[in-house]
Amino acid sequence: MTATRAFSRSYDALDDLFAFTAAAFASEDIAPGLRLDVDFVLEELFTNVVKYGRSTDAPVRIELAAVDGGVEVTLTDEDADDFDVTRARQADVHAPIEQRQPGGLGLHLIRKLVDHIEYRYIQEAGHAQVTFRKTLREPAHQGGADAGD
Amino acid sequence: MLAIDFGAQGVVVISGRLDAAQAATAQAFLDRIQGTATLDCRGLEYISSAGLGVLLKTQKRLMASAGKLRLSGVNPHLRDILQYSGFDQIFEIETIE
Repeated sequence: MTATRAFSRSYDALDDLFAFTAAAFASEDIAPGLRLDVDFVLEELFTNVVKYGRSTDAPVRIELAAVDGGVEVTLTDEDADDFDVTRARQADVHAPIEQRQPGGLGLHLIRKLVDHIEYRYIQEAGHAQVTFRKTLREPAHQGGADAGD
Repeated sequence: MLAIDFGAQGVVVISGRLDAAQAATAQAFLDRIQGTATLDCRGLEYISSAGLGVLLKTQKRLMASAGKLRLSGVNPHLRDILQYSGFDQIFEIETIE
């Protein structure tokens, strides 16, 4: 089974988004201990669309499905440019406070939290999709398509 | 939802979820803090990168005038996020299990 819902691209949708993940975790019998990490990754991806995506009424669709030991989530921006968010610049988390500025941590933290993340652009439809997987296992921290440093 | 207010002995008590929709509320409150302060996070369930930005901006402002913000009652989820962000090098953090 897959839980699916569409959200308007607005910060005001975050409460509904978190209510959706809570309900989906319950209905799909997914380990509750994964939910805060999933909420975190979804918030980062979703607010990225709100901040940098196209100004359009097209929804952002989220699908959430149980997998062995965890959950797989797909976020689809249904009116998007082709921009691979998983290849965004790395943050320097070791810089002294004088050199640090708010922002820029989202993708770094996503990579730390998920087992695997991948981006796909569907040219004909103009859809940008990010799929990530989170399980009770420790994150892989590998290169390539797996989530690493 | 997010709640933030002064508690006993000037401690700032924060609870709920500090996400992108609540960051402005938290920032507006923390902008009133001066000197050295403790943020009691025992009731803070969740923080996103928008919330981390609020903490960093506050810490930079306070440290510029020889003050600082301490974080107490940090749960394991918050602890991990703070460590992954390098904030354990920027804040004094007291954790709870």
